Amino acid sequence: MAGVRTPREILTNRVAIVAVFVALAIMLTPIYWIASTSFKPRNLATTIPPTVVFEPTVSPFVKLFTKRSQLREQPTQEEYDAAPWWEQMVFDGGEKVVRNRRSGEVTMSGYGDRFTNSLIISIVSTVLAVSMGTLTAYGFSRFKVAGEDDWLFFILSTRMLPPVVVAIPMFLMYRVVGLNDTHLGLIILYTAFNLSFAVWIMKGFIDEIPREYEEAALVDGYTRMQAFFKVVLPEALTGMAATAVFCFITAWNEYAFALIMTNRNAQTAPPYIPSQVGSGLPDWTVIAAGTLLFLIPVAIFTFLLRNHLLRGMSFGAIRK
Amino acid sequence: MAQIDIRNVQKFFGQHQVLKNLNLTIEDGEFVVMLGQSGGGKTTALRAIAGLETVTSGKILINGTEVQDRKAADRDIAFVFQSFSLYPHMTVRENIAFPLRAVRMNAADRDKAVSEVAETLQIAEHLNRKPSALSGGDMQRVAIGRALVRRPQALLMDEPLGVLDAKLREQMRAEIKRLHIARGSTSVYVTHDQIEAMSLADRIVILHDGVLQQVGPPDEVYLHPTNLFVAKFVGSPVMNVNAVRLEGNSVVINGASQGFHFPDQMLGHARSTAGEMTLGVRPEAVLLSHQPSDGFVEAVTTNIEPLGSHDIVDVRLGDTVLRARTESAFVSGEGQKVWARIDPSQAHFFDTATGLNLRGAN
Repeated sequence: MAGVRTPREILTNRVAIVAVFVALAIMLTPIYWIASTSFKPRNLATTIPPTVVFEPTVSPFVKLFTKRSQLREQPTQEEYDAAPWWEQMVFDGGEKVVRNRRSGEVTMSGYGDRFTNSLIISIVSTVLAVSMGTLTAYGFSRFKVAGEDDWLFFILSTRMLPPVVVAIPMFLMYRVVGLNDTHLGLIILYTAFNLSFAVWIMKGFIDEIPREYEEAALVDGYTRMQAFFKVVLPEALTGMAATAVFCFITAWNEYAFALIMTNRNAQTAPPYIPSQVGSGLPDWTVIAAGTLLFLIPVAIFTFLLRNHLLRGMSFGAIRK
Repeated sequence: MAQIDIRNVQKFFGQHQVLKNLNLTIEDGEFVVMLGQSGGGKTTALRAIAGLETVTSGKILINGTEVQDRKAADRDIAFVFQSFSLYPHMTVRENIAFPLRAVRMNAADRDKAVSEVAETLQIAEHLNRKPSALSGGDMQRVAIGRALVRRPQALLMDEPLGVLDAKLREQMRAEIKRLHIARGSTSVYVTHDQIEAMSLADRIVILHDGVLQQVGPPDEVYLHPTNLFVAKFVGSPVMNVNAVRLEGNSVVINGASQGFHFPDQMLGHARSTAGEMTLGVRPEAVLLSHQPSDGFVEAVTTNIEPLGSHDIVDVRLGDTVLRARTESAFVSGEGQKVWARIDPSQAHFFDTATGLNLRGAN
């Protein structure tokens, strides 16, 4: 009776649609808030009640990427006219862009570098965690490992205490080996943190891939390693994509360790953004702009992998 | 093509022994079917030949070369899995070409070999589709194509028809037979379906609890089972198996009031045993008559299975029941009085304790 619905089913359907909209509204409101604040002039960012209709401006983004100082005296008309449009925006806000005394070049804020750090550290640690996790999971899934359950429990147990508990010892250890404030240090940290998750998730996915695939490849003249890359890996891609999204989000959002372990060279965006709140009156528009840009990579990454996330496992060619 | 020699092979899984001193020679070009219940060791034996399973002791030779320590990839055999095991991320063409890529055959030869196999198996029009878009029968054809394309020394098949429905199974059975005749490849085929075994095999190998029970051509296994297990496992409907005793020249089924008269020369071997005896008679060796006559014993029909070409009729003698095969509509219903006889030339006497055939009747 496809297509024909009872009144009860229609009602259930409508309730479900309403529920989805309510949930969406709850989840999207903060994102709307951040997005709208990052295009507001500073004086409208904190009005009560909130300003909904306003003339959007990109001045928060200009301020996000430049170093500024308070204006001691108003710029002359010539100075103002000679300045490019974005510098005029800063003048309008009662600040001026800091320039190099000799070359006159604009001094950039730290945001760009911190953002790049975030990208490098998150991507590299995700690639490492997913690839190592997949290989480990394959080993556990396919071979007899002495004490397999104990090992798996041990791997899982690394997730059982809040990571911040080990922050101080980690900090001291890192200082001794010189990994403090290095990209490598954070990459190792995030890889280790994500690895247990990756092993467990990937083991679930690889257990689902029938052994016959590899066995067929083995009798067809391939080595175990070739069989892994040619047969198992393509089947495990869905799982790897899902695992990668979660690992990337974890690394991308990590705040506590990034705050403790880094300060200049390898600092990521999460500890940097709130550090802008610190001096003087907080400029929420700049923080909102930084946050909005920070959301984008995760959105793109998830969007690119959405088919893998949705597709699920397709084992059409195995009959059981 | 090749001869496969299995010598004194033992296989343990932990404490559990799944192959007990297996000895078997499969001749070049022969189609051997390993038949047995699940857990009987037949799949393990097949996987041991393929190199997917190591053996605990013993030797496996292909064309006289010991291969038991070689990897599966180095044995030059092909394997068809029950699950077909087609790679879902590859097209049919890529699936069939996959073994050829392993040996780095050049693209032109590869395409030629793939087309040739696809032609033979009538799957040429599916070459660019993904396996998930195929029917069960076509998946099976692709799996066989992937196995044959490399022209391996031997073709091993593990219940390849097990997941197909009955009608398709019959059709594929005929195709496999035709293919074997055309190609003459040494084939080892594992199944628990005795009809498949009978129809395909040059020789049937019956395995039970890891022990080889009997090896022989289908008719020999059917007509001359060496023991009770083989007698009961081969043949449909199942052979009548009853405990009996001898009273002079009369064979009396325990629980029946009257015995069946056997000629003296048919009972020589049966007399030689002192222990308990079991009589095995196939339904076609139980003869029914509407009139009482010499050697026939009175019985009552209890159940009739009309099968079109013939009927299977259950008759009660005293406290026991025999199944007989009759022509269609020979008896019209339950509760009829009939007379039954056993064909002495088709009767098998087994030693109840050992299960071995006493070779009395044949």
